[in-house]
Formats: sequence, structure tokens, C-alpha cells
Amino acid sequence: MILTWILVIALIVVVFWVFSTYNFFVGSKARIKAAVQEIGNQLKRQSDLIPNLEASTKGYLKHETGIFSKLTEVRKSVESAIKSQDVQKMADAGSKVASLLPDIKVIMESNPEIKGSEVVVKLMDELRDTSDKIMYARRLVIDLTADYNVKRVSIQSSFIANLLKFDEITGLITPQEGEHVEVKAEETKTPKISL
Amino acid sequence: MINIYESVSANKRKSAVIIVFFIIFVALAIYFISQAFAVYLGYQPGGLGIVGLSLIISGLMSLVGYYYSDKIVLTISGARPASRNRDFEFYTVAENLSIASGLPKPKLYVIADSAPNAFATGRDPEHAVICATTGLLQKLDRTELEGVIGHELSHIKNYDSRLMSVVAVLVGTVALLGDWLIRIRWFGGRNDSDREGNQLGAIMLIVGIIFAILSPIVAQLIQLAISRRREFLADTGSVALTRQPSGLISALEKISRDTEPLEAANKATAHLYIINPFKGKTKSAVSTFSNLFNTHPPVEERIKALRQMA
Repeated sequence: MILTWILVIALIVVVFWVFSTYNFFVGSKARIKAAVQEIGNQLKRQSDLIPNLEASTKGYLKHETGIFSKLTEVRKSVESAIKSQDVQKMADAGSKVASLLPDIKVIMESNPEIKGSEVVVKLMDELRDTSDKIMYARRLVIDLTADYNVKRVSIQSSFIANLLKFDEITGLITPQEGEHVEVKAEETKTPKISL
Repeated sequence: MINIYESVSANKRKSAVIIVFFIIFVALAIYFISQAFAVYLGYQPGGLGIVGLSLIISGLMSLVGYYYSDKIVLTISGARPASRNRDFEFYTVAENLSIASGLPKPKLYVIADSAPNAFATGRDPEHAVICATTGLLQKLDRTELEGVIGHELSHIKNYDSRLMSVVAVLVGTVALLGDWLIRIRWFGGRNDSDREGNQLGAIMLIVGIIFAILSPIVAQLIQLAISRRREFLADTGSVALTRQPSGLISALEKISRDTEPLEAANKATAHLYIINPFKGKTKSAVSTFSNLFNTHPPVEERIKALRQMA
């Protein structure tokens, strides 16, 4: 009699464990998908801000045409990335925009009349904020995929993952080799700053 | 050098150990005190009814606080809602970090007070509130603000105000029970003749009275230990979100160096803030002892723990 009760309770515990593990995997997948959409959402906002910045600075910057053609190019890649809903494309487009920001900043700094303009300062704040948002949205994708992938190979839950065929999720890809993982001799030296 | 994932799980483990210890202690205290009641009132299951009664009273007292904590605290502190235009940094930083943590954006409020401080409250992430003083928003730069908001968001993510109110209910239950047991003795209880020859009953009574006297204090000390451990956990949670321990470190330094008292704070809301608003007057020799009675770990220790992650 007692043995049956123990068996019944054990069975209930196991069933609950299976359900909760299954729910974790399914829920994680949904959350990762939502997080990827959030990246797209923020990229959209960023690419909408760029034309505003262009419009408000164009008067001052007749000679800086190079940056405007670059901006338009980046905007196009952002839009196509959002359409494709592909994580990797979105990440690439995001880093393209991020790489433009220092250039824009240099131009701002070297043109005092622009730097003083309140509209431009506001737009730069918004741009900075949006690139932060993209960074944090990417972090959420990274964290969620890490949790998912760790659980997938951990000892109890890997059983469920294998049984129900939950595959590894790649998340954001960073190349494992190439220039960016090597450190050159001159990069290890402390930079000298002359004031 | 501690990896952030290890740090988060180490803190969760330590926190779970204290909570388990707390539950065991409360269970023991309730058991012995109710046994003593049983001896007094002369029937065995009598204790349980009293435990139930004290649990209900203590629970009702905390329930109001639990459901309306956000509103009560905001009314006491006199806060105004934050707007995107007026508090751009605060608003956007909170928005960004909620994206990173995957939580809904909490309601944001600003208290007009030049002492830099911040707190979070609300029973679950859907009803969460983060409140910052104008002093905090003026004195910290964006990176430091990210550290502070990350800390508050981690409190929300870890359901800390829910945990602390459950703990408060249990501490209240033990305190009520102990109080009743000590008071009931003055009303006489049962005749001495009935208790004669019942040695076990006498021992139970003594143990129960000892528990009645000591357990409210001990339970409160453990409650404070839980609160301090949750602060460490929120600190590591903040670093897990921002990946920049330096921001929170310099924010903690700035806030603790500021000597201005926070006028909006009182004893009831003190434990909510990122740094205890009643700043330490005690130093060195007495401090290890006085730390036992603090809701927050000393800032130096928090910074030391954060440095190990940097």
C-alpha cells in the first residue's frame, strides 16, 4: 500500500519535472524569437532617426557629402535586415550603424555651429540611446540562447532535449578566428596621450 | 576574478541556504511555542489553532502592505512620475535595461530630494516601481545610473519585495505567538495540580518560553541577513545586465560619500533603498556587531565583491 503511494508520488514528480523542462525549452524559444524582433524594432527606430539628423544638419554640411552617402547606404541595409527577420543580418546592420557614429561625432565636434544646435544635440542623444537599446536587445538574445543551450546539454534536462529534439540555437554569431581575436604587440602598450 | 555567471549562482545558493535556515528556525519556534501553549491550555492540538490565528493576523497586516506597497511608498515619499523629456537619462536607461533583462518597463518616479538614492518596490514585475531622487539623477553620469537602475531591476527580477514580505509575515507570526505565550502566563492558565507528574510537559513549557523570548529577535536577525544577501545578489544581477562593474562601483562610492540625509526616507522604507539612507555613524570596532542589525551590507564590502568581477 505504502509502496504504491510512493510510486504514485514519484510518478507525479517525474511528470511535473518533464512538463516544466519542456515548458522551459518551448518558452525559451519563444522569448528568443521575441528578443530578435526587438532588435529589428530598435534598428527601425535608429534608421528613422538618421534622416532627421541628415535634414537638420544638411544646411551646415555642404562639403561633407561622403558621410551622407554612407548614411543612406547603412539605412538601406538596416531596412533589408528588418525585412529578412534574420538575426545575423540585423546584427551586421546594427554594427554598421555603430561604426558610423564616431564619424558623425567627429563632424559634429569640428563644426561648432552644429554642436551648439539644440536639435542636433537631442538627435545625437537619441541615436546614442538607440544604439544602447540595440546592444541590450542583443545581450538579451545572447543571454537567452546561452541559458537554452546550457540547459540543453546539462545532465537531467539533456534527456528531454534529446528525446523531444530541441536543437541547439546559434544566436548571434561572432567569428571564432580572424583579426579581432588576435592582439598585436603595439595594442598591448599603454596609449600615449599628448595634451 | 570571479566570472559573472558563477557569482550570480553563488549568491543565489547562499541566499537559498539562509532562507532554508530561516524556515527551519521559524518552524521550530512555532512548534515549541505551540507545544507550550498546549501544556498551558491542557489539550494537545490546541497550539495549532493559535498558530493559525497569529498567522492570519500577521498575514493581514502584511497583505495590505504587499498589495499596495507601490502606492503607499510613493505617497509617503511624495514622488512624481518621470517623463521622457524631463528625465531623459533616467527614463531611457530604465527602458534599455528592461530590454536587456526581458522585463516589462517598470513605472518610474522621481522624488525631489538632493540626497542621491533610489529604490524599487511592487509585488511582481508587472506592478514594479523604480524611484530615483533628483540628487541621484543630477550627480551620476549615464554609466553609473545604469549600474543603479540595474541593481533595482534585479530586485524586481528576483521578486525581492515579495520574498521580504513573506519573511516579514513569518517574523510577525513568531513575534505574536511569543508575545501571547508570555502574556497568557499572567492570566494563570491551568491549575498547577493538573500539571503534576508531567515532566515532559514542564520541559516543553520551559523550552517554549525560552523560544518565546528569544525567537522574535533571532528571526529578525535572520530576516536582516536575508535582506543583506539579496543586496549582494542584486549587485551581481546589475553587473550581469550592464557588464560594467565600474559603473555601479563609482555610483556606490558617490552615493555613500554624500553626507546629505534623505528627507523622504523613514524607518519603514529604509530597507528599500540602494544604500541605507540612514548612513552609518558607527565605525571600526562596533561595526561588525552593528552590521548584524543593518538591512544593507557595508558599502566597502559591496565594492570589494564588485571589484572581484571587474
